[in-house]
Amino acid sequence: MKEQLHTSRVQLTYATVLSWTSTLGIIFVVAGYLVYVFQLLPSAVSPAEIATQWHLRASEFHKVVPVPSGWDWVTQLVRGDVLTYASIVYLSSVTMICLAVIIPLFFKEKDRIYTIITILQVLVLVFAATGIISGGH
Amino acid sequence: MNQRAFPATGSFFLLTLLVSLLLFFPTAAFAVQPLAVEPTPWWVWEIALFVFCFFLGIVAVIGGVGGGVLFVPIVSSFFPFHIDFVRGAGLLVALSGALSAGSPLLKKGLANLKLALSMALIASISSIGGAMVGLAMPENVVQLSLGATILGISVIMLLSGNSAYPEISEPDNLSKILHIYGIYYDEQLKKDVSWQIHRTPIGLLLFIVIGFMAGMFGLGAGWANVPVFNLVLGVPLRVSVATSIFVLSVNDTAAAWVYLHKGAVLPLIAVPSIAGMMLGTKIGARLLTKVHTRVVRRLVIALLAAAGLRALLKGFGI
Repeated sequence: MKEQLHTSRVQLTYATVLSWTSTLGIIFVVAGYLVYVFQLLPSAVSPAEIATQWHLRASEFHKVVPVPSGWDWVTQLVRGDVLTYASIVYLSSVTMICLAVIIPLFFKEKDRIYTIITILQVLVLVFAATGIISGGH
Repeated sequence: MNQRAFPATGSFFLLTLLVSLLLFFPTAAFAVQPLAVEPTPWWVWEIALFVFCFFLGIVAVIGGVGGGVLFVPIVSSFFPFHIDFVRGAGLLVALSGALSAGSPLLKKGLANLKLALSMALIASISSIGGAMVGLAMPENVVQLSLGATILGISVIMLLSGNSAYPEISEPDNLSKILHIYGIYYDEQLKKDVSWQIHRTPIGLLLFIVIGFMAGMFGLGAGWANVPVFNLVLGVPLRVSVATSIFVLSVNDTAAAWVYLHKGAVLPLIAVPSIAGMMLGTKIGARLLTKVHTRVVRRLVIALLAAAGLRALLKGFGI
């Protein structure tokens, strides 16, 4: 294709990884949701219980409804509410995966500036994902 | 089919649809005065949210705006969910849209990785800050500042122009150091277009502000990214739009993690919104050539202004 002549190898790799990981993410999100709302797996909290409190502030909501947040769900994957939450967590990780993949490519091309920028970007996202600054679980 | 009649009919249909949604959707009674007992079954809200986001997706594409910016003010006005959860879902709506659109734009060379990475690093840090500040603010302050921001966005959308192929006589030093330049094949011109940028430090400063606001309100930031890329940095319009989507995916990822850790993401609200919006944008893209985009864009701006005004009034407790 004519357009791809102007696209760097790093960019094409990013695009390919993004295509696969984001498609998988959307499938995972929809599947996890269906498992939860049709209650195909047991859940700690039903959708009906959530709906009675979803008008509350997030901080108040979590005092009365024990739904997953942050990373507090990882040991309980075989639960409907956890599965649908995990799918959202995966979707929020797609960009990190794509960026991590291109770091070695920039490094191989001896592109120091973008190797550093990409490493810093991944560190920023990992930092946010750990919940250190936001008081995560 | 009468080709001339269709655009007007299509626009009229969309207008009627929007007005109907605003009039007949269960009003903000729940949102304004939270009730402990929810009389409407949860699944009705789920279906309503999906259908609403489906139409929002259609309108967003035709109006030439990102779904995220419409989602937060409108859903927080007309659905019973707390604005914390609406902002969390808004970020994920914008993120999933950006992720699914990103790959083809990168492959075609329309989105530029180096331009995006340079701006996204600083913007993502500020979007984390914005998300933390936004979730710590009292609800009325969030509503007030959201209302003011949305009204500001409406004005920007109404007044800002664009330049399809800005001419840059001399790139600045920072853009030279960062190797920010490119070439892409323009399907309209049927030829290669090369570009370079200037005013990179100003662009970086503006992206700090954009990232902060996107994180604070859970808005997609295409409304701000594109003008900064295009009018400030001098990036061709097509490259600006495509690269904006990439930047958005990085910024919203950073902010989304803060919302996840603060417990402000409920899949029960986020997933129907994502699914409805994605389906709607696909249909909207097909309708794009058949409706009066200018009419719909004005309608979207009016809708946005109304939602902003509503948020402002809620902030004042009216």
